[in-house]
Amino acid sequence: MRTALQINNNEKINASLLFFVVLSTQIGVGIHGFQRIIVEDVGNSAWISVILATLFSHIAVFFMIKTLKLYPSNDLYGIHQEIFGKYFGNFLNLIYITYCSFAFYTVIRNYIEVINTWVFPNLAQAFISVSLLILVIYAFTGGLRVMVGVCFFSFMVSLWILVIVFFPLKYAHYNHLLPLFHTDFISLIKGAYSMTFTIVGFEIINVIYPFAKEKEKASKYVHLGLLFTMVVYLIIIVISTVYFSEAQLKKTVWATLTLFSVIKLPFIERIEIITICFWLIIILPNLCLFAWSAYRGVIRIKKIKETTFILVFSVLILIANIPILTRAQINRFDHYFSQIAFYIVFFYPFLLYMIALSKKLLKKRERSN
Amino acid sequence: MFRDIKKKSSPTNQAEKDKPKEIPIPTSKLEFLKKIKEETNEPADLIVKKISESITIVFLDFLIDQNTLNEQILTTLEKMNDATPNIIKENLLISEVDLTSELNKSIFEMLIGAVLIHVEGQSELVIAKISSYQSRGLTAPENESQVIGSQVGFNESLPTNISLIRRYITNPNLCNEKFMLGKETNTSISVLYIKGIASEQNVNTVRQRIKELEISDLLDSAVLAELIDDNSFSIFPQLLLTERPDRFSDGLLSGKVGIIVNGSSMGILSPYTFVEFFQSREDQNLRWPIATFVRLLRFAAIFISIFMTPLYVAALTFHYEVIPQPLLVPLSESRSIVPFPPIIEALFLELIIELLREAGARLPTKVGQTIGIVGGIVLGTAAVQAGITSNILIIIIALCALSSFTTPNYLMGNVIRVVRFPIIVLAGFWGFYGVMFAFCMILIHLIRQSSLGVPYTAPIYPPRWRDWPDSIVRLPLPFINRQSIINKPKNSNTTEEEKVNK
Repeated sequence: MRTALQINNNEKINASLLFFVVLSTQIGVGIHGFQRIIVEDVGNSAWISVILATLFSHIAVFFMIKTLKLYPSNDLYGIHQEIFGKYFGNFLNLIYITYCSFAFYTVIRNYIEVINTWVFPNLAQAFISVSLLILVIYAFTGGLRVMVGVCFFSFMVSLWILVIVFFPLKYAHYNHLLPLFHTDFISLIKGAYSMTFTIVGFEIINVIYPFAKEKEKASKYVHLGLLFTMVVYLIIIVISTVYFSEAQLKKTVWATLTLFSVIKLPFIERIEIITICFWLIIILPNLCLFAWSAYRGVIRIKKIKETTFILVFSVLILIANIPILTRAQINRFDHYFSQIAFYIVFFYPFLLYMIALSKKLLKKRERSN
Repeated sequence: MFRDIKKKSSPTNQAEKDKPKEIPIPTSKLEFLKKIKEETNEPADLIVKKISESITIVFLDFLIDQNTLNEQILTTLEKMNDATPNIIKENLLISEVDLTSELNKSIFEMLIGAVLIHVEGQSELVIAKISSYQSRGLTAPENESQVIGSQVGFNESLPTNISLIRRYITNPNLCNEKFMLGKETNTSISVLYIKGIASEQNVNTVRQRIKELEISDLLDSAVLAELIDDNSFSIFPQLLLTERPDRFSDGLLSGKVGIIVNGSSMGILSPYTFVEFFQSREDQNLRWPIATFVRLLRFAAIFISIFMTPLYVAALTFHYEVIPQPLLVPLSESRSIVPFPPIIEALFLELIIELLREAGARLPTKVGQTIGIVGGIVLGTAAVQAGITSNILIIIIALCALSSFTTPNYLMGNVIRVVRFPIIVLAGFWGFYGVMFAFCMILIHLIRQSSLGVPYTAPIYPPRWRDWPDSIVRLPLPFINRQSIINKPKNSNTTEEEKVNK
């Protein structure tokens, strides 16, 4: 079965851009309120859980790239078809496509909720989703080059947020961090597990890897991206820990946004309103690339045009957005999503690598016999 | 009404059109004159002069140089009674003399400014090209003025413009390719580039796009620029129009392909990227810290110009809470007597500024100044006193207008001014979210564009780290990398040797 991709050289992207791709797909809506979920598990040692979660993501990426290297110029979908044959392979592909679509839906849903809660209580959900989808369609039809460009600029223009987030340190109580290392290891792992929702996104590597120009350098930039994400999360979790008390954090849904609201500049106050609107450009790469990775899977099953795909996809997302969910419902949805994501992103790559490796070895032995 | 613009479907079509049926030149004088008059529809400025029994000359008045005609052609021809075209050609002391046996070609040459010499009984014509262009003298460029640097601009004559470029670049590798465009106007255009610096690929693209163009008329280079760029639907200009020969030469030297159209005082440079539109030739003439400051100022000006008014509208309509108390008090005081919502107020003032600008551009210079005073001072003060607008908004709008004029390119400045209007509307309806939506839309649009196949956002994205410093700030001369990757130089070693200041 021939599943290898034929990719034109001008469709490929520089390996260094993978840094931005990984970074901008990881950071999305999760960062708004990941503190509460971890702190519930581990208390003031949340930052250790962040480091642990990053460690696991490094391991997951390591296996993903190992698997992709076994099948040169092929993505996850092609590898599925190659290993499991057409029917079961496509079944697995369908699961992955569904996962990508759910990720897309989760991002939109959470963003709409934040906008409705903090900025425009009366802005219709349908309006926000339509406007987001228009942006996604416009970027998506431009091809991968444009979407990666969105990732790149999204990173570049959001750097200022990393600076202003330090302002609340004025009111910091550093003793909140103490005592260090008083949490047991099991809770730390549990905390890391709770990070799943916030840290996933790097699984885009499964699909985008064949498009990298210099394959040897690719993994370096991917790992760098993961590290940078960790730095961002660490900064935010540490600042939140020293600013809020533990009891406060457990009750704050969007701790990062609350942090922003403290910041006061001579000409501007309530920065969270600006940052929430600004978050549009931070979630845009998320949306574009999740839609794209779903698309890459769909064309393996049925050949359709990019435009047709994104239009159908948008309509489906719009329909899914019609029911109004309460905070508790969205919370539960996020929880389920993160459980599924854990298996698909952290556990499955390892399994797939083992299967792929044993299959390769078997083939080799057959050939030598 | 509509211009007849078509892109060619097949190249064979072109070849057929280039070969009109050949009409031989009648040997008899009377028949020749009849044929000429027939073909040119007997224009009033057609002059026929009989020199001797056998020799007749035909030309169009005012298109030729009278002095040369009198001193060279007439005196020479008078001495020759029965000469063949070949002998006449050899005896004429004019640099450009040709022989032809084809009527259409000779008529075409006459329309450019040639004297046709017909000899009785001969089927060949002598064409003496002594055209003289009535063109405006060279003046300082008006739209792209700069303080330090040469003060000469292109004029409307193609030969003069090319000679200006040749003065700047004395180099045999400066190539000049001639093309004719326009079925009705037969406008001549020149494609200029420096061999070895400009990439072959870019030159070929320009060549091919010009060749494939089928238009009825071409009166200005701006039209050509819009016809050959990558996306004619985009609001952003993708090729640079400049009236400065030094900027044009600068572009050629950094590997761009230039186009000059006869009858237009603007040269086209391609490919051109978004960032380059905000660089001025003068940046090179100033000391680098100053030039860097000015460049950064310009980039800041884009953002001020596009987003300041929308942010004001958004903040005052939806997000009062982002404005600190001490600032909010004067703002609400000045707005307390204004009866409109901020969006109407802002659109109204922006419209006034645009009207002033347009009126100033259309009116003669002297009246234009008056309009500025009437509009700026009288309307502004009166509007505030009448309570139609708040005076803080006037400050903001004036700031935006001022910022938009810092763009060194007029076309880009226009874009920045116009693109603001939809953003104000979005801001008025959906606050910061609307502004952000517009920002993302513009960003995606910019990433999608390309100029001659080069990404429009280069060298920022796709990132060429080596070209970054020089596109945002202006580095000291020894560090300037003359040929950025944008222009895809064929041989990147050529620059290494000719480093300046060493």
